Amino acid sequence: MSSHSSSTEAVDLAEGVNHQVAMVMDLNKCIGCQTCTIACKTNWTDSGGREYMYWNNVETKPGAGYPKDWEELGGGWDDDGEERTPGELPDQDDYGAPWDFNHEQIMYEGSDEPLRPMDDAADWAPNYDEDEGAGEYPNSYYFYLPRICNHCTHPSCVEACPRSALYKREEDGIVLVDQDRCRGYRYCVEGCPYKKVYYNAMKKKSEKCIFCYPRIEGEGPEGEVRGPACAEDCPPQLRMVGYLDDENGPIHKLVNEYEVAVRLHPEFRTEPNVYYIPPFAPPKHTDAGESTDEERIPRDYLEELFGPKVHNALDTINQERERVRRGGESELMELLNSDRSEKYRLEVFDES
Amino acid sequence: MNRNELLLAGLLAAVIAGGAVLLPPVAEAQAESGVPVEYVDTTAGLNSPTGSGWAEIQTATIPLSSAGAAVPAANDVTVEEMQVQAVRTNRQIRVRTSWTDPTQDGSEPSVREFDDNVAVQLPAGGEEQPPIAMGSSNNPVNIWYWSGSGSSEELLAGGPGSTTPFEESTLRTEHTYADGRWHVVFTRPLDPRGDSRTAIPRDAADLDIAFAVWNGSNMEVSGQKAASQWHRLAVSSGPPAYQRFLWVIAGVMIVLTTLLTLEGIRRTGGE
Repeated sequence: MSSHSSSTEAVDLAEGVNHQVAMVMDLNKCIGCQTCTIACKTNWTDSGGREYMYWNNVETKPGAGYPKDWEELGGGWDDDGEERTPGELPDQDDYGAPWDFNHEQIMYEGSDEPLRPMDDAADWAPNYDEDEGAGEYPNSYYFYLPRICNHCTHPSCVEACPRSALYKREEDGIVLVDQDRCRGYRYCVEGCPYKKVYYNAMKKKSEKCIFCYPRIEGEGPEGEVRGPACAEDCPPQLRMVGYLDDENGPIHKLVNEYEVAVRLHPEFRTEPNVYYIPPFAPPKHTDAGESTDEERIPRDYLEELFGPKVHNALDTINQERERVRRGGESELMELLNSDRSEKYRLEVFDES
Repeated sequence: MNRNELLLAGLLAAVIAGGAVLLPPVAEAQAESGVPVEYVDTTAGLNSPTGSGWAEIQTATIPLSSAGAAVPAANDVTVEEMQVQAVRTNRQIRVRTSWTDPTQDGSEPSVREFDDNVAVQLPAGGEEQPPIAMGSSNNPVNIWYWSGSGSSEELLAGGPGSTTPFEESTLRTEHTYADGRWHVVFTRPLDPRGDSRTAIPRDAADLDIAFAVWNGSNMEVSGQKAASQWHRLAVSSGPPAYQRFLWVIAGVMIVLTTLLTLEGIRRTGGE
């Protein structure tokens, strides 16, 4: 780790990386509409062996996620961040596959059965457990968790590749797979604890989210600099995009100053550069429908997902909300409600 | 010369000629361990991996063990030996590899499915023997790589992790899988155009050669492979049939000269 200029002393960047792209997703705004998923899919993964891939997915938490139970598959680093932790390759079925239906029977064999999946065909799919969540009525809870590659500062996928096919771009820290170097060994797939590197069996190469780098380089629609498609197409505009080391940007403030944007599973020690504003929910209800003081989403569950820093983040947001409720001003609340132009700050380092 | 002497001369000539035809290959086989590359006039019977001609070609058994590479599960390999045969014509070399693998892996495209593979490694041309693990940057190796999905690649490597395909492959492969056994035949021109490609000499010569096998069902990939040490690839010199023909002529001439000399002495002595 090293810092690269006096203005970025507080921000750890990966060695050899000049700036680091980052994203903050406000989970309180996600409505689970999957527009980001489709924006990504139509741009990058709609054919050619990528059909099963969702470089961007939105899963329900608590839930098994995509691929199923990815959090149990290992990868990442040990507690010291020195040694890689072994990982497993997911089963193809755990990504979800198209179901077989009884078309043959209905269309050609005269069956009167309703159209439905064949036996055992419909036992898993992406978002199979959507909106199930956890807890008992009237205190059940769930929230949506959008996920892309975290373009980590200490990426275990990069370290896992014996051919150095994966690398962090010098200019912005985007993690890419050099398709000429890749020979489809899949050490990166098992090495990523977020399971955000995918194997293309048709091309025999691994592939992943590229942070829409052609768009942020101005190669997107109308030759303009654009944020990643998942961010720009989001109806509630829950994603902020910029550079972690841009001290005047909202990401730096949310992550490093207010510390309200936290990493998903920091214990994997890959140091993700996608950060989350943790979710709030209405308080628990009594059976009679009265609100209590008890938080609906258990803190220990949020700590399981976002690590111990989630407590401070939630407390800070609560305090700032109270301040605004009392008629005060809060830069933090302003940031979390910022307008579109503040959400994408991608040209700040163009001159350097 | 009477009739008996003529018969004796004929018999002697036949023994020498027969010996010339039969003995040299046996003597060569005893002298050369490793993988002999037999010269053949034609590849008839050797075109398919199970062609009948392969039964006539000497077989080398190559022991295999973990390559010990710095990748996860590097020591978890399953194939313990393979059989190798090699022939050459005036234009091409053909190497037939075969090994036992109870499962055929190569056509299932999914995340956890790996292909069976086999590779042949040769020095790219340096004088010294390259490091066994993919050579080194100043002593690279050629690798002929076949994958159970049916594709093959001609590769150049200068150390682990540096494998790079040649832009145009001069390699051809044929394969069959039957009774729990793969047979894969690699065919390549002896001396193809382009830099960094191992030239197979037309005269008798020894080259280094090594092999590796991957068992897809055991998720073997990359450096997790059953590999051999370096072996000697013993390339036969020019057409043996031509050599043997010369030996026959020489033998017959020696016998005839001896008999004529004896006859001359007998006649001289008799006078």
